[in-house]
Amino acid sequence: MQKSLKTEFLGITITSPLVLPAGVMGMAFSGFNISVENGAGIVTSKSLTLKSRTGHKGPVVAEFEGGFLNCMGLCNPGIVDGIAEIDQFKKRSNIPVIASVFATNTKDFLELTKHVNKSQTDFLELNLSCPNVFDEFGIPLAASTEEVHNIIMAVKQISKLPVIAKLSPNVYDIVSIAKAAESAGADALCMINTVGPGMLIDTKMIKPVLFNKFGGLSGPCIKPIALKLIYQTYSAVNIPILGMGGVTNGEDAIEMLMAGASVIGVGTAVHYRGIEVFNKINNEILEFMEENEYKNLKDIPKLEKLNG
Amino acid sequence: MDKRTTLKIAKIVDETRDIRTFTFKHDLDAKPGQFIMLTDFEGGEKPFSVSDCTNEEFSITVKRIGEFTTRLFQKCVGDFVSIRGAYGSSFFVSKNKVLLVGGGYAVPTFYFFVKVLLKAGADVTLINGARTKDEHVFAERFRELNIRVINTTDDGSFGEKGTSVDVTQKIMSQNKFDFLYASGPEMMMKNLQYVIGDIDYEFLFERYMKCAIGICGNCTMDPLGLRLCVEGPVLPKEKVELLTEFGKYHRDASGKRIKF
Repeated sequence: MQKSLKTEFLGITITSPLVLPAGVMGMAFSGFNISVENGAGIVTSKSLTLKSRTGHKGPVVAEFEGGFLNCMGLCNPGIVDGIAEIDQFKKRSNIPVIASVFATNTKDFLELTKHVNKSQTDFLELNLSCPNVFDEFGIPLAASTEEVHNIIMAVKQISKLPVIAKLSPNVYDIVSIAKAAESAGADALCMINTVGPGMLIDTKMIKPVLFNKFGGLSGPCIKPIALKLIYQTYSAVNIPILGMGGVTNGEDAIEMLMAGASVIGVGTAVHYRGIEVFNKINNEILEFMEENEYKNLKDIPKLEKLNG
Repeated sequence: MDKRTTLKIAKIVDETRDIRTFTFKHDLDAKPGQFIMLTDFEGGEKPFSVSDCTNEEFSITVKRIGEFTTRLFQKCVGDFVSIRGAYGSSFFVSKNKVLLVGGGYAVPTFYFFVKVLLKAGADVTLINGARTKDEHVFAERFRELNIRVINTTDDGSFGEKGTSVDVTQKIMSQNKFDFLYASGPEMMMKNLQYVIGDIDYEFLFERYMKCAIGICGNCTMDPLGLRLCVEGPVLPKEKVELLTEFGKYHRDASGKRIKF
């Protein structure tokens, strides 16, 4: 029996449910190329802003037993150059691309949406939840149901593409935020962004390891949090979820699917298992399907929803 | 897992007015061509090629070019800095007759490499070039290694007059080599490509690095998507020949393409 990882996300057929998330390898068109060659089914750009940003000074990453802290600081070449990289990739590939965009107000999000409308991009992701620019921009928009609702509502009115809302795990009640996004017309949710933020200290120099002091947490240690939040959200909304957070192997990916995710982001694991990680996880999912006699990805059962 | 370690500067040697070697007592276990990330936690973490490495200590040789390196030049023996690595690819160690072509502050990484090549039994010729005498480094150290060295400066203020590329062309017309290595400014390596015929080679590249562990994508090279911090900084001929950005553009800290 031929197993297949082919599935559908927001009406587009994809060859693998694995997604290169925003902020990982997404600076250059060639970063998309190599991720796709290694088995990613969807790729996401760096979160693009109206003007280019050099990001925070280093160190911007710090590793520890369970994962990573990062505080890249939304470095990106700006929406025009970022879209040019996406379009260069799309010239030679039909793999879907998510353009991730970041702004702090509706007006800028609308401006960014107009740029994305003119590109070869397939989906628009609104990054409402970068945890690493607090000093500059304050509490992420994803902390407010009202902000999330208003921005998505406005963007949906002009976006030619399906809109994905990227949510922060660092809120009191992610389910109400997710519901606000859904009711405003979001086509899908992307969750979770990095956790925390957290910090690490160099004990010899008595300094925070990250120059930004604090950074978002990713890697295996956040998987249980991601699963819980995705499961709670899946139980409460009817739009698909792009699930991510600490997925390193096929077993993790299956857990994400069972928790309610439709497709799965793989980011930090690119460090742990190389850029080949997408094909490795694809194969591990196929092995799981073989063992359990699931023919298609959608045959893998989901957990029974909460409260019913 | 985390390879970060915080070390005291054990030794500082002035090479030129703007080039300085910092030595640390630490078993880095690096291979020639690899680099470390270094920070003082005061803003900035930068990649530096390893210019010497033994079981007890390693060195980096740094050119003062900006805010970060200016601050590094103010540090003294005994001051702490924090490093992680060694990272990246390393030079193939040939046992045959090899030509090394170096330019400016990218030359010192060859000091570590030549020692390894000699141990492997290679026959080494080095072209050690710089724009001018004040930027020419490691002439004395390479002399002590008893290899064939041709020192050259663009303006003739030290050694032969001419670029590393000019000298390479001349040397290669008189001698046959089995393998060529280059470490220098990108345009030097680009111009080398036109004069070295079909010899097999490896080039050491420089790009803006941030995470150094293959995630952030800032040092990705087009069109192969090579992460210079993981698949580089040393790239073999078959990959170099496919690079469309080689000698044309690189990306800055924001990812914007900057023309050479």
